[in-house]
Amino acid sequence: MQIKLQKVVPVPLKDKIELRNSDVWNVEQTFSSNDWVKIKAPSGTGKTTLIHILYKLRFDFSGTIFWDNENCINITENKLAQYRQQKMSVIFQDLRLFQNLTAQENIELNRVLQKPYYESSVIQSMAEQLGVAHVLQQRAGLCSYGEQQRICIIRALVQPFEILLMDEPFSHLDNNNISIAANLIAEECKKRNAGFVLTDLDEDTHFNYTQKISL
Amino acid sequence: MLFTLFKKIIKTSAGRTKFVLAFVGLSVALLLILSAIQIHANFNQLLYGKNNSDSTANFLVINKEVNNNTVNATVLSNETLQEIKQQPYIEAVGIISAGRFKASIESLIKSFPFYTDIAFESVQDDFIDVSSKDWKWNEEANFIPMIIPNMFLDIYNFQFSMSQGYPQITPESLKMMNFKVNLYDVNGNIKSYIGRIVGFSDRISSVLVPQSFMDWANKNFGNATTTNPGRVVIKTKDPGNPALVKFLKEKGLTTDADKTRFSKYRQIVNVVVNISWITGVVMLLFALLIFTLFIQLTVASCKDEIQLLITLGASPQQLKAYLMKQFFPSNIVITVIALIVVSVLQFLMFKVLQQQNIFLSPFISLYTLLISIVVLIVLWWVNHSTIKKYIAGK
Repeated sequence: MQIKLQKVVPVPLKDKIELRNSDVWNVEQTFSSNDWVKIKAPSGTGKTTLIHILYKLRFDFSGTIFWDNENCINITENKLAQYRQQKMSVIFQDLRLFQNLTAQENIELNRVLQKPYYESSVIQSMAEQLGVAHVLQQRAGLCSYGEQQRICIIRALVQPFEILLMDEPFSHLDNNNISIAANLIAEECKKRNAGFVLTDLDEDTHFNYTQKISL
Repeated sequence: MLFTLFKKIIKTSAGRTKFVLAFVGLSVALLLILSAIQIHANFNQLLYGKNNSDSTANFLVINKEVNNNTVNATVLSNETLQEIKQQPYIEAVGIISAGRFKASIESLIKSFPFYTDIAFESVQDDFIDVSSKDWKWNEEANFIPMIIPNMFLDIYNFQFSMSQGYPQITPESLKMMNFKVNLYDVNGNIKSYIGRIVGFSDRISSVLVPQSFMDWANKNFGNATTTNPGRVVIKTKDPGNPALVKFLKEKGLTTDADKTRFSKYRQIVNVVVNISWITGVVMLLFALLIFTLFIQLTVASCKDEIQLLITLGASPQQLKAYLMKQFFPSNIVITVIALIVVSVLQFLMFKVLQQQNIFLSPFISLYTLLISIVVLIVLWWVNHSTIKKYIAGK
């Protein structure tokens, strides 16, 4: 899969963007399944906005986005669901778990939305790897932010994808947990020959990035 | 598994009372509609069915008015018969053929002696309001079945027997008696047969014999001249039709005015049926509205959850399929319940009316079944389009 941005400028950030140079806004930029991209940017520069625009959650921008050469605007609801089930996965900064479902159910939901990529037992082994196996049967709303974030990571990794979008995916984790989670993500991306776009505040060496750009 | 998770996320318990109301409303509506159709079907069966001994269908015997101008000239001309057949409100015309031979009938029982000259008439079986397995005749049979007017028995029981000191007689015992029927040919030779009364008619005031017997007897005993009939039976949907009354008057024809009361009964039934189905349809519309609102309420109360499901990649089809599975089965249950209730009522009605010699089908009509399927399709469509509309808005 390939996501191409053509002179994209989010309306709320228009004034700020015109005053500075960016590798993403108002230029041509492409993210594909071969790229492991790190986007480093300070707060308020539109990291979350970018992830949401790439995932077709926001439309308040000028310019054009192409998904596999098709104008994103023209993609129908059914095709959008297909993309999100088969080609794109996402880890939101604001986590977005169903608070009333257990951690296990939250992950299971994303596993069975399409023809399952993994057996249900993979959830357990991933949870053990990330140290959240003990909260799997707990309601997501009762888990700590760190636990919830790891649940979100597992949720994103149990489905098929070609591009993984990550919006500050480690913001609630300590260094040790970050490195374990990053290893799991790298492993899963390699397994699928998938690329990713990761946004964060700081420099890091969690992955072998193919591209580091700034907003 | 997916739907189990959906069920935990999309709570349909919001507005449970509204759902129960809609459920009850829809049940009553369907019951009214299906009953109305079933009553209509039953009524049609009574009107046009051929196996009812006391049919409410409207058959009228018509003949020329006998007055000073028409005495001995009451035969209906070919033109008049043709004109009667051509009237749009007359569905069928049955020729009443009169016997062209002399006949007499006498009792074979000493305690009940009588002898009388008699004349027969016959009409196609479709026009006779009595059904009896004995109502058949062929040349080999020595037995002649007869249908006499109810009125004859009344005259005997309430006038004749009282004044002559004879015992009264029930229809059943009269049916069991054999009579001697004598037929006289043109030369005065007598041939005797056994005759028996197989039924009593309210419709045709005449001693009726099977058409096949009449044809045979006219050929063998009657004079050769054929004449037009003096009376015909007509079948009409509405004997109170002013056009029919006007036509009869113009042609100098008369009929049994009392028959018009049947049309009054029928009009009352029609009004009841119409009120029933119109109320049913109105209730159905309200029930559909409540169902629609219920679906809207459910989707609105789970707006955020549905939004997140779509964000995660749930397709509109998956959500639609799930919501249909939540809402539509109750509609099927309601329809089945309504059909069962109507079927039970129909069976009870069949049992009750059977005792009064009115024969209805013990099962519901095909139309009732078809309409319930149509209503189910409408319900499916309303559910489906409502869900589609509100899911698409997310």
